[in-house]
Amino acid sequence: MRKTAVILVIGLVAGFTYYWLKRPAAPADTATGSPSTPVAGGRLTVTYRSEPKTFNRLVSPQLAEELVSRLTQATLLRMNRATGELGPGLAREWTSSPDGLTWTLKLQDGVTYSDGTPFTSADVVFTFQALFDPKVKSAMASSLMIEGKPLQVRALDASTVVVVLPAPYGPGLSMLDSVPILPRHKLAAALEAGTFAEAWGTTTPPADVVGLGPFVIQEYVPGQRLVFARNTKFWRKDEAGRTLPYLDAIELQFVADQNAEVVRLQAGQTDMMSKEVRFEDLAALQDLQKKGKVLLYEAGTTIAPDMLWLNLDPSAAVAKTRPWLQREELRHAISAAVDRRAVVNTIFLGEATELAGPITAGHKGWFLPDLKPPSGGAEKAKELLASIGLKDRNGDGLVDDAQGKTAKFALLTQKGHTVRERSAALVKEQMRKVGLEIDVVPLEPRFMIEAWSKGEYDAIYYAIESDSLDPARNPEFWLSSGSFHFWNPGQKTPSTTWEGKIDELTRKHSASMNADERRRLFAEAQRVFAEHEPVIYFAAPKVILATSARVHGATPSVFAPHLLWNAERLFIK
Amino acid sequence: MTNSLSVFVLRRLLGALIFVVVVSTSALVLIRLAPGDATTDMKMSVADPAAIAAARSRLGLDRPIWAQAASWIGGLARFDLGTSSHYGRPVSGLVVERVGNTAILGGLALVMATLIGIPCGVVSGSRGGAGARVIAAASILLVAAPPMLLALALLYLAVTTGVLSVEPGSLLLPLLALALPMGAVIERLQSRATADTVHTPAFVAAAARGIPRARVVWLHSLRASLQPVLGVYGIIIAALFSGSVAVEAITSWPGLGRLMLDGLLSRDVFLVAGCALAGSFLVAIGNLTADVLRAFIDPRIREAA
Amino acid sequence: MRAIFLLVATGLLAIVAPILAPHDPTTQFADKAYAPPTRIHLRDATGFRAPFFYKQTLVNRLAREYADDTSAPISLRWFSGGRVATSGDSTEPVLLLGADALGRDVFSRLVSGARWSLGVTALGVLGALLVGILVGGLAGTAGGRVDSMLMGASNWLLAMPGAYLVLVLRGALPLVLTTGETFALISILFTVATWPHVARGVRGIVAAERAREYAEAARASGAGLWRLMSQLLPAARGFLAVETVLLVPALLVAEATVSYLSLGFPDASASWGTLLQDVNVRVMSEAPWMLAPAAGIFAATLIAQAAGARVPQRA
Repeated sequence: MRKTAVILVIGLVAGFTYYWLKRPAAPADTATGSPSTPVAGGRLTVTYRSEPKTFNRLVSPQLAEELVSRLTQATLLRMNRATGELGPGLAREWTSSPDGLTWTLKLQDGVTYSDGTPFTSADVVFTFQALFDPKVKSAMASSLMIEGKPLQVRALDASTVVVVLPAPYGPGLSMLDSVPILPRHKLAAALEAGTFAEAWGTTTPPADVVGLGPFVIQEYVPGQRLVFARNTKFWRKDEAGRTLPYLDAIELQFVADQNAEVVRLQAGQTDMMSKEVRFEDLAALQDLQKKGKVLLYEAGTTIAPDMLWLNLDPSAAVAKTRPWLQREELRHAISAAVDRRAVVNTIFLGEATELAGPITAGHKGWFLPDLKPPSGGAEKAKELLASIGLKDRNGDGLVDDAQGKTAKFALLTQKGHTVRERSAALVKEQMRKVGLEIDVVPLEPRFMIEAWSKGEYDAIYYAIESDSLDPARNPEFWLSSGSFHFWNPGQKTPSTTWEGKIDELTRKHSASMNADERRRLFAEAQRVFAEHEPVIYFAAPKVILATSARVHGATPSVFAPHLLWNAERLFIK
Repeated sequence: MTNSLSVFVLRRLLGALIFVVVVSTSALVLIRLAPGDATTDMKMSVADPAAIAAARSRLGLDRPIWAQAASWIGGLARFDLGTSSHYGRPVSGLVVERVGNTAILGGLALVMATLIGIPCGVVSGSRGGAGARVIAAASILLVAAPPMLLALALLYLAVTTGVLSVEPGSLLLPLLALALPMGAVIERLQSRATADTVHTPAFVAAAARGIPRARVVWLHSLRASLQPVLGVYGIIIAALFSGSVAVEAITSWPGLGRLMLDGLLSRDVFLVAGCALAGSFLVAIGNLTADVLRAFIDPRIREAA
Repeated sequence: MRAIFLLVATGLLAIVAPILAPHDPTTQFADKAYAPPTRIHLRDATGFRAPFFYKQTLVNRLAREYADDTSAPISLRWFSGGRVATSGDSTEPVLLLGADALGRDVFSRLVSGARWSLGVTALGVLGALLVGILVGGLAGTAGGRVDSMLMGASNWLLAMPGAYLVLVLRGALPLVLTTGETFALISILFTVATWPHVARGVRGIVAAERAREYAEAARASGAGLWRLMSQLLPAARGFLAVETVLLVPALLVAEATVSYLSLGFPDASASWGTLLQDVNVRVMSEAPWMLAPAAGIFAATLIAQAAGARVPQRA
């Protein structure tokens, strides 16, 4: 027994000694890849963490389906994700009527699907018909409605399409960037039979999933990999007239966690990580960049910052049992008490900016740099809590409600998402300093969403991806009737005057065709939002992306898929 | 003799079959009773009650538990294990993929543990000296290091020295983590059996006849220990699969344990039941093999069964 | 004997945890993310003095590099605020085992985690012993159909890999539980999964004992089932002592596994298994002190096993 103890102690001592000898080296700066002439060929290996549940983008809004769609399908217009400008896609030119409602799109000539079938305006009409078919229940349909009415799409001839907007719409045709044009010859039967929603499941033979995108599905091994091969019929050429895509193949390797992704990239076994670099990995990756093994890109500030909201539905149970939970003062108290500097420094290791609202510097022109989070810190927070009757009545250091019960709420957050779990723990700790008790409950996203959709929750810490910078493309969040008006979704009439005000401003900037006017109206909406803080924001991290040093031609974007949105231009050297 | 052995095997096979069916069905019922179900995450994308009801009926979640259990057992006969709501694919395919990985890991660990444990046990049980003491000390430490801790320790070793690959999917690390503690248990048993043997009259007599000592030690102690060591194989196999759940999670080995955890966390009824089926199947096969081997060696066991 | 003493001492340690921990296990210290263990010094330039340490200042946030600020020695404060020892400066923690990602003291978390890990283990063992003695005793004493039924059930449970059994049972419970509920339910799970081990051994001993003369005599004199059982059970004392120390390490690891797989204790009341969730390949190389809970489980297992080796000589 004594011998064993000695061995144990020696082992521990050796371990710690090893640590002391080995201290990390100084970090390097972010640099960008060197431009060079593209070369054709090669296989790009990308690690990815979620798997598609279907190859039918119209019925599933998840990121994996979106990525598959971006690689295998094409859209009428495509947004340049670095500049935010709309550019040609399957439509080579688009012109509008003087009132901006009727758009005529000329389609590219000589385009065929990956199986050789010619692409015509009939495919476009078919796609929109499927999208708005009530039986399909497309996850995309609501984002293609303007004031609740669908776009009208009809064909003038085989290579001309007319799109009619049901109402004046500021963002114009930018929504077409999200709609993949699907092959009528493959899917019309399913739509007629009413089985479109089930068509193109992941067990579909890859050859049946034809598309207009730069790649085609070659092989899918669930849990392991999804391989895309070059679409030899792809219609886009580069500026020098070379065929695209440059790559022969892209292999998505499914890995369980982000550590594995980083390890593989560091070991040179993969070329790209699907997600943003975590800041705790940044120092090591900067070292590798110095040694010429990886390339790091700073795409900008995130457009999907984490957020905290409380259940403000007046019909929710909490409205009766703990009315203080829905008071505006509580939200301001949380916002004032949480030290945003600590969030930036501890959670994001300094690679973030403090944030006061949903719009970040990543939203470019829509961002209001002068909008500041409430000041006053813990003292102000305590005052605010006291003003709604939350005081420490029994001397235990925690505030109590009017009945003398310890005031407490549960904060749900995404299990396994390290940043969110840590942030929630940090918020909990910061609120404990002002005496407000929070229970952090990490949940699988689906159970969190269940609690949210039933309205059976106190507060949630989460974020959702966004696919546009233009706030008018996100009405479900801003409008009180919206389904992603998180704190109180789907209201028949605005339950507060300030929500009514935001509704009005949102409708106005959405319908306006004047860019300056739109910016002004939205700025006002943001200020009303900040004044009432239905959702509390703390920090907006940078989006940093990493590839192996042999990957070139990447255009980083703050949108997912960050480096693969124009995968046809990536090449390996 | 052959007859009684085959009767024995048949009886055990039947028992194993019932075991597998009952275990997987009870897993199905248990998870079905738990709150929350697999249609929950649809609500973010398709906030339409009709669509959710349709999905529930497609997944069979709207039927009573007994009806589900009955159709589950019915499906077993056709090797139809239902559809995983989490992966959107048939459970049978998913399980077959993963069960192979777990079987490879567990099987190799068993072989490795035996190949390390038995010789080391013979050495440490038959003589004194530094070598035997080192083996004994290492064993005592390893018996105290459950696979979960050993996996973490090996991972640390790999990270700091680069000796082992930490690449997910590399077999050596999880294999060592599982095999070494098992090997240590076998070593201890074999060591004791060997130590007992060297004092038996048969041993002393053989040694007196001038047969080289080493040969006598190996022959006698192996024969004498076969029974006690084989006797614990059933327990060892169960322990292997227990340990492999944590080891798979730590080393990202794509085995059954991870799949089952996915199923549990997403309330994927059929996936959990399928994993329970596969897990109990592996255990039953392992136990069966150990039993048959023992029965083959010792006829008394057949009669007793 | 020494090992048994150590086992008891470990248990006591867990109970007095709040006193031993220099800090609150949930306090997050600013700019201390993954700060390395504080070195306690006994001498400075002028010679020996009372134990003190230097303030750790952040040199590089991204690489989490820290340096000792030798111009600012901080003394330990003894026996104040209900703690044996803590830092003399309330903003500068003394981190005996370093800090985690949120700047929390790993040593304090380890010590308070022991309460949950060891507590749930102790309760599970107790439950297993109670149920096992009852079922095993009953089966052994009654014999016949009762015996074959009870032992059949326990053999079935025994044949299942424990981890799968515990996971499925845990999966059937609500995913989110409070600390108290977690504590109670995991103890019950452990009881369910381990009682057959006890029952089988007890039954064997009791059944053998039943064949002996005194038992025959008692039966002939018309002693009831319970009476008989209470006379036969003491024979299993030695076995139970051994079984207890075998179950302790098994359940410690089971707790660690369940919590590691995020089906156990929540972060707010982190057990050793919960603490291990924070460990991954990168953390290991950057902050190896995060492995402390694993060392804790290992040490406890080793102690329990050594205690087990001593028991038979006593019983």
